[in-house]
Amino acid sequence: MTNDIFTHMGNLPLLSAELWPAWVAGGAIGIFAFAQRWLTDQPLGCSAAFGNVCARAGSRLPLFQGHAHSPATDWKIWFLVGVFLGGLLASVSTGTWAEPAHFGAFYNALMPQTSLGRIAWWLLGGVLIGMGARMAGGCTSGHTINGVAMGSKASIVASILFFSAALGTAQIAQFLLKLSGGAA
Amino acid sequence: MNSPSPMIRNGSFLLFGVLFGFLLSRAGATDPALISGLLLFQNLHLLWVIGTAVSVGAVLNLSAKFFHWRNLSNGQLMSFPHKPFVRALIPGALLFGTGWGLTGVCPGTAPAMLGEGQWFAGIILVGIVLGTWLVGFLHHKQVQRMLKITHHSSEIHPR
Repeated sequence: MTNDIFTHMGNLPLLSAELWPAWVAGGAIGIFAFAQRWLTDQPLGCSAAFGNVCARAGSRLPLFQGHAHSPATDWKIWFLVGVFLGGLLASVSTGTWAEPAHFGAFYNALMPQTSLGRIAWWLLGGVLIGMGARMAGGCTSGHTINGVAMGSKASIVASILFFSAALGTAQIAQFLLKLSGGAA
Repeated sequence: MNSPSPMIRNGSFLLFGVLFGFLLSRAGATDPALISGLLLFQNLHLLWVIGTAVSVGAVLNLSAKFFHWRNLSNGQLMSFPHKPFVRALIPGALLFGTGWGLTGVCPGTAPAMLGEGQWFAGIILVGIVLGTWLVGFLHHKQVQRMLKITHHSSEIHPR
C-alpha cells in the first residue's frame, strides 16, 4: 500500500518527480539547513513560530513576551507561510494538489472512522505536538535536522526521545490493532 | 550586525520557507503513510532522508568550524548555537513523539501538507497553536504558584 507512490519515481525530470530518491532529498535538506545559517546567521526551526502566533493573536502570557517571540522574530511566521507555499508549489507542479492524503493502512485503521472523531484525533494530536515541541524547545527541524548535525547534546537527547516515543506509540498501536483484528 | 529591514528579512525567510516546504514535499515527509512506514520499519525511505540530511549537515558544520567559514549576513565566524538542555525537554520530547506517531505530522510538515491541499493538516495546525498556548498557560500557573509561596499576589491573569 505504501509502495504505490514509488511508481512516480520514474517520472523524470527530477524537479517534477513527486518523490525524490532519499539521498537526493536528504542531501538537499542538509545543504539547505546549513545554507540558511550561513546566509542569515539564523538556525532552521519551525515550532517556535507558533509562540509568535500566540503573541500576535493577543496572548499576554509571559512565555510569549520574551525576545524569542518578539515582533522582531516574526520572520519565523513568514518562514512557515513560505513552507505552506512550498507545499503548494510542489503539489501543483506534479498535478497532485488536493489529492486525498496518503494515510496508508496503519493510520486508516488507527484513526476514528467518523469525521467528528477524526477532527478530535487531529486536534488532540496537534495539541500533543505543540505542547511537546514548546517544552522541548524545538521539533524535528530545529532539534533533529539542525541541532544533531551541530552535535548539540540537548538536540541529540531530544531527537532520541522523539523517535523512541513515536516508534513506541506506533508499535504498541500496531500490536493492539492486530489483537483487535484490524489489518494494518 | 547590519540588520536588514523587516520587510527584506521577512521576505527572505518567506523564500527560505518555500524552498524548505518544497524539499519536505519532494522528500515524502508530508506523506503520513511514509511516516508510519518508518515507525513500523515497513519502508525506511524517510530514515535515509533524515540520515542523509543530518550527515551532510554534520560534514558542512565540521568543515565550517575547521576552516573558519564566515557567515554572509555579517561577516562574523559562523555560529553554532546549541539549544539549552531544559528540564521540560524530556517530557516535552516524549509528548511530541507521541503526537507525531499518532498523526504522522510535525510542525514543519503541517503547513506544507496544508499547501498540498491535505486539508486535515489545518486541524493539526490549530491543535499545535492550542498546545503551544497551553504550555505558556501552564508555565504562567507554575510561576504564580511559586510566587504565592513568598507572598499572596492578586495579579491579573494574562491570556
